[in-house]
Amino acid sequence: MAETAFREGHVDADGFRIRYVEAGEGVPLVHLHGAGGLRLTPAHELLARRFRVVAFEMPGFGNSPVNDRTESMAELASTMLRAIDKIGFDAFNLMGTSFGGKAALWLALQATGRVRALVLEAPAAIRQEGAAPPSGTPEEIARRLYAHPERVSAPPIDPALRAKAQPLVQRLLGPHRDADLESRLQDLSTPTLVLFGTLDGVIAPAMGRVYKDLMPNCHLVFVYDAAHAISTDRPEAFTEVVGDFLERHEAFVISRAETVIHP
Amino acid sequence: MKVSFFETARYQASKPLPSEWPVPSGVYDPEAGARAYRGMIERLELVEELGFDWVSVSEHHYSPRILTPSPIVSAAFLAAHLKKIKIALLGPIVPQSNPVRVAEEIAMLDTMAQGRLVVGLLRGTSNESLTYDLNPAEARERTDEGMELVLKAWTEPQPFGWQGRHYRYRTISIWPRPLQQPHPPTYALGTSRESCDFAARHHLGCGVSYGSFEGVGKATKYYREQCARYGWQPSPEQIIYRANMLLADTDEEAQEMLRKLPGQAPFSMRPGVRDAMMTLDSRNIAGEPRAPVVSGALPTTFVGSPDTVVEQVRRCRDVVGAGVIDLSLHPPGSSDLEPLMRALELFGKKVLPQIRDI
Repeated sequence: MAETAFREGHVDADGFRIRYVEAGEGVPLVHLHGAGGLRLTPAHELLARRFRVVAFEMPGFGNSPVNDRTESMAELASTMLRAIDKIGFDAFNLMGTSFGGKAALWLALQATGRVRALVLEAPAAIRQEGAAPPSGTPEEIARRLYAHPERVSAPPIDPALRAKAQPLVQRLLGPHRDADLESRLQDLSTPTLVLFGTLDGVIAPAMGRVYKDLMPNCHLVFVYDAAHAISTDRPEAFTEVVGDFLERHEAFVISRAETVIHP
Repeated sequence: MKVSFFETARYQASKPLPSEWPVPSGVYDPEAGARAYRGMIERLELVEELGFDWVSVSEHHYSPRILTPSPIVSAAFLAAHLKKIKIALLGPIVPQSNPVRVAEEIAMLDTMAQGRLVVGLLRGTSNESLTYDLNPAEARERTDEGMELVLKAWTEPQPFGWQGRHYRYRTISIWPRPLQQPHPPTYALGTSRESCDFAARHHLGCGVSYGSFEGVGKATKYYREQCARYGWQPSPEQIIYRANMLLADTDEEAQEMLRKLPGQAPFSMRPGVRDAMMTLDSRNIAGEPRAPVVSGALPTTFVGSPDTVVEQVRRCRDVVGAGVIDLSLHPPGSSDLEPLMRALELFGKKVLPQIRDI
């Protein structure tokens, strides 16, 4: 696979200096990462061949200063919307992973007309009772996140940086069923794709159906043989269905696979 | 012990047929085929009356040996003709089927049969890779993924898409769902580590076949260990052992029948195909490599008089742990029906009453 060069940039929003990485051309695709922080996967590279991918590092994650200001997921979403404004996107696609999936839902609620389509990778907005984010040593965390740890190419997130962001994650993640958010989702008509890996050991894949129950324009796809980090476990499979959905929205259910063997 | 009769629709040819697989379909006699299916129902009415718990059907192609290429069609036909007995669909060859279709047809049949269905899912015998041009090297992976999709299609209440490795669907939402909820009793069939792992992980039963008690016992032991690892314990009924049985009034007669059995592989392929298949089709018993069954006859593990067979069934329960035996009573492929009917009667009267409490 040809290496796609991601450029680094920063924007200022709500008093935070927010880092992002960017690659590709075309329709913008904004990505909000999971509770571990920003980490590029092969899926980012594959998506950057079809979209202008901007992956943010949300304030409080990675090497950014401790964020003890943001009080709620809605507030974080509003900060990220300002960051998107600074980059200059009017309409854009939005993708959120796990923790970032909940932020993406709030962001879509705040900018309904501007989010063309929403992709939620193993979103953490609705969780089974007792679900706990992965914790422990990098090895223990990897066992919870990946069905195929051998496919992880990037080094693990520095445990100290992960630990630094945990109070923020705990503060913002909210209850396993968030009545306030769920009542709003019923009016969110943004085309939405929810993906769960069949081997997700962090959030039960059965949570996927709840989004579909609640949201008027939601599609559910199971990615076979992937755990919580779908885009790392099966980047090609993930990118194909996500790209197809972003381009065709609900018509992505119509197959374009060709089966002619010889003319 | 529960007892299942493995029904193969005995095809009686008027003249000897070529033994090489695939058998040319030009030598098929439509009238003989019609007789085979009529005879099947007559036989199974007796099987039901004798008190067998299940009748099982399987999927095999391109040969008169087992005349049921579509086990779903067989099972539907049986379900319509028989009233009480459970129909064990053992089973669709998953890697060469559309798993969504398999889920739909089983749900439909379970409902039509008033919940009398038992289901086994499997990879299939080596020769069957040739039937629909399945790459044997992909068969295992396609089986695991297909089985998982079947289970998901039965149980997921919302329309969903499946982004698999070998299967891709964007819209799945089956009607009807099975009458037995969440799904009929289901078994992963096979001795392989992969099959046992799958069964243990999904709380399914395990079905093994034709090997010696000790041989298949390795697989069922491994299966039970894996179930324990996943925090549950299978019931005896969750282990099926399919085996050949030769039953006669005396041990001597049964041994004589055994001596007369043709020592030929059930689906004997051309040597070049057989040898290539040996290298491509990887098989194992609980992780220990074994050769695919492409040459040599299947062993007969129950042989003797009723009392001898009862003792063998007892040993099978101890060694294999099976709570269901699925019997090829008088081996399939034999078109000599008279000994089969005698063995059936003998089994119903002299063996069945003695093995209920095993």
